[in-house]
Amino acid sequence: MMRRSPTWPIHLALIAVCFVMLVPFYWVLKTSVSGENIFTYPPNIVPQNPNIFYYVDVWYAIPFARYFLNSVIVSAITIAANVVFNAMAGYALTREFHGKGFILILFLSCMMVPFQATIIPAYLITGQLGLLNSYVGLALPQFSTIICIFVFKASFDAIPGSLIDAAKVDGLPEWRIVWTIMLPLAKSAMATNVILSFIWSWNNFLWPLIMTRTPEMQTLPLGLARFLSYQEDTTGALYAFCIMVLAPGILLFLLAQKEFIQGLTSGATKG
Amino acid sequence: MEAYSGSRPSGWKKWLLNRFVLVPAAILAVAIAWDLYASTHDDGFVVGQVLDAQGKPVEGADVTLWVFSFTTFAENRSVKTGADGSFRITGNPSHHIQLSAVKPGLGSSQRIPIRLYFRSQNTTLQAPLVLSGKA
Repeated sequence: MMRRSPTWPIHLALIAVCFVMLVPFYWVLKTSVSGENIFTYPPNIVPQNPNIFYYVDVWYAIPFARYFLNSVIVSAITIAANVVFNAMAGYALTREFHGKGFILILFLSCMMVPFQATIIPAYLITGQLGLLNSYVGLALPQFSTIICIFVFKASFDAIPGSLIDAAKVDGLPEWRIVWTIMLPLAKSAMATNVILSFIWSWNNFLWPLIMTRTPEMQTLPLGLARFLSYQEDTTGALYAFCIMVLAPGILLFLLAQKEFIQGLTSGATKG
Repeated sequence: MEAYSGSRPSGWKKWLLNRFVLVPAAILAVAIAWDLYASTHDDGFVVGQVLDAQGKPVEGADVTLWVFSFTTFAENRSVKTGADGSFRITGNPSHHIQLSAVKPGLGSSQRIPIRLYFRSQNTTLQAPLVLSGKA
């Protein structure tokens, strides 16, 4: 009988890594409720006189609710578009057609082009469509992301082809095959798409900075920059703002982390 | 082989009773409750009392409300205390204020910083404003 090696050294190492990873988060949280200067020496591990007044300051210093709503709307549009377009593209890439290899190489090579390099054409196209300073325009460049297309493709590749053939024999059109057969079997890929597109949209700074015309259309990252320009003594309030911006993303990740991990690893053990 | 004894939720339960609905719903409920509380307690009242150095109520002292504006506190309004030394400021527009009291002959108090949980929150001072006794 094989003797199992003890797992505690691995757990100990993982706990140490977790500690290192979580300390900055704890420090931000601690400073947001204590306002302690980051150069205080020796630093207090436990917050002194914790309170939530820095959060109240942030709420009233800028139109936080408006920025939050804008970010939520833009993220919702981005997520919906990502799931629909990426699923369609991912499904198409699981089928055989002429030039598929070229398309795959084109996609992979496009991943190497940074958004900063294409921002002028993106701006001109958005302007031609009349979508500048609008929610759809804010979400437009992130309607589809290549990484997420490949996440869907990997997940769809794991579904037996006989299932699709049976659906075709039953007379289902392609879009219904994607909607009623592929997507329910690719929930983890969908969760990965939702989380990644949400985080990218939520944290996007450059595009909203360029294409918004009025303060009413600005999103939270722009609000953070505006907040920094307003106030000087911002130690506690700045950290509180960071927590308020980060919280929705962390919450979404915690809610869907199981599906997220499955989505990232699906296809990894195939073959 | 052991039979599976658990039952899987179906229909509306499947769509409603999951963490993706329950957690946002709970957050929304807390936000609505907080908003209701704030909207019923935001008349801007600030109530307190002014005492002299011996701890006796001071009548006719001027109590000033200072409101935080970007980097400094600006004077917003003043009221006079009653016979029992109490005062009631109405129309506080801010969540970050200071209060001070002064009466010729009895001196002035220190500015007391007050932080509120929302703008114009009704509040009663826990400790009175105490005049220094130095004219």
